[in-house]
Amino acid sequence: MAKIISTHSFRGGTGKSNTTANVAVLVARAGHRVGVIDTDIQSPGIHVIFQLAESRVERALNDYLWGKCSIDKAAYDVTEASIGDVDPDADRPRLFLIPSSIDVGEIGRILKKGYDVGKLNDGFQRLVTDLRLDYLFIDTHPGVNEETLLSIAISDKLLLVMRPDSQDFQGTAVTAELARRLEIPEMYLVINKVPPGMDTAQLRERVEATYQAEVVAILPMNYEIARVASSGIFVNRYPEHPMTLALKQVADRVMS
Amino acid sequence: MPDNQSTGALDDLIGCLKAAVAPFRATLQELHAKYRDVADGKVADYIPELALADPKWFGISVVTVDGQAFDVGDCQQLLSIQSVSKPFVFGMALEDHGREVVLKKVGVEPTGEAFNAIVLDEKSNRPFNPLVNAGAIATADLIPGKDFAERIKRLMATFSGYAGRDVYVDNAIFMSERSTGHRNRAIAHLMLNFGMVSEKVEESLELYFQQCSILVNAHDLAVMGASLANAGVNPITKQRALEREYVKDVLSVMLTCGMYDYAGEWAYRVGLPAKSGVGGGICAVVPGRCGIGIFSPLLDARGNSVRGIKVCEELSDRFGLHAFELGFDGERIEDQFYLRKK
Repeated sequence: MAKIISTHSFRGGTGKSNTTANVAVLVARAGHRVGVIDTDIQSPGIHVIFQLAESRVERALNDYLWGKCSIDKAAYDVTEASIGDVDPDADRPRLFLIPSSIDVGEIGRILKKGYDVGKLNDGFQRLVTDLRLDYLFIDTHPGVNEETLLSIAISDKLLLVMRPDSQDFQGTAVTAELARRLEIPEMYLVINKVPPGMDTAQLRERVEATYQAEVVAILPMNYEIARVASSGIFVNRYPEHPMTLALKQVADRVMS
Repeated sequence: MPDNQSTGALDDLIGCLKAAVAPFRATLQELHAKYRDVADGKVADYIPELALADPKWFGISVVTVDGQAFDVGDCQQLLSIQSVSKPFVFGMALEDHGREVVLKKVGVEPTGEAFNAIVLDEKSNRPFNPLVNAGAIATADLIPGKDFAERIKRLMATFSGYAGRDVYVDNAIFMSERSTGHRNRAIAHLMLNFGMVSEKVEESLELYFQQCSILVNAHDLAVMGASLANAGVNPITKQRALEREYVKDVLSVMLTCGMYDYAGEWAYRVGLPAKSGVGGGICAVVPGRCGIGIFSPLLDARGNSVRGIKVCEELSDRFGLHAFELGFDGERIEDQFYLRKK
């Protein structure tokens, strides 16, 4: 049985997509077939981190949701770009990305007309079967909307990414409450962009007490990741960086 | 603190999402795909309005007693409720007059005759049951009110309560029912002759034609069935649609008389209380568990939806839903209603 993992943050800019991409790469490198789907239809972006050129994208998640193609036609093998030298015939590791369309018209269409969330769920199931996935990562839109809630409803594990500020503190409480009502089996917190000098032990204690969920990583405000500027996989470029080690803990928890 | 209304909206959304990810959705999709191309039977044509139905229309909806809804196919397509209305009006009569009075006017015996037969019980002069036309006219006659407006209001309020939304009568269907309903007029006047209906029988016939022309969709039929399955309380609105003590009355006539002259075989094969209509609708009830609403206008020779029957048969078989299926050890339907078993 494939495991489905959603990453979510209440507000934008928490580093959610970067966290998803890096953890997905680490899980794939451990010898798994991994899919990453960008359900952030309103503001897609994770394809940039995987360096999937727009010109290569003929079909996107949007086309599937409009019934123009089956979901596997919107899946791109990004193993080489994200993991590197892997025998093209090897079954594992393998990493697939299902991007959302960056076309302005497509984004507008989704916003105006909406779509059947049930169909999104059917798509998740088909991906898992057709691509024989061990793990499916769902990168969601910030805030609370239908596809976010659907992603949470179907997930085995939820990673909530937040910054240590009061707006994120409040917002994350909303998501955590919804996730509990959707009966999510496991929920973990990732605190990102922690400024230097902050007492991380105290932060961890406070967050865990507030949300009744385990903090699985505390990631510092990080200049190297800013330099990678979302184009490329951080854990590949900085394999020994403390940030990479912390992300490995997240990957281990995903695979446990 | 959020108010009750926004909590309700959130509950609805959460319910909708839980249904979207539950395995039962795939089961219904599979059934829909399996029977979608069945082209046996024909669309009812005794009134021109019904003949306009597209034979391809096919919706399956299941609504659980805790308010989860599974809709597959054309579940928003409206149809005239026709005979599916009859058990619900029987329920109204019971609430308004009590069992004793109602049973003097209509029996609870299956007929084996066609739904529109002009036949009454020879000993008592009662129509055999409330689900044949004669019995349905007799129960429509029991709808109280000082004038027609008040009676129709009561009728519409009842159906709106079961469906959980305001329902309306299709005027074109009503007019053609009324202008071609000679046989029903004959039945009504025969009953008037025996004193089984009141002097305002013409008004009651109008009510009967109105009741048959109410527009619903497959989802509504499932909610109505689920309200009966849930001991009379609409599981979506949480409002009571029928007094608890009369639910068993309605369900038992549905089980024995609900499927025209296929009722006996239906009870034997499927074993669920259900009612069909010539509009192509079927409302079936799995007591304590869910309501099933199906719409497909292709009818067999007895006036039952062909695809509707097939879907009910398969659901009943697969999940052991027959009322007398004892010691069933297969997968239970309620286990499919949730992604994670409770």
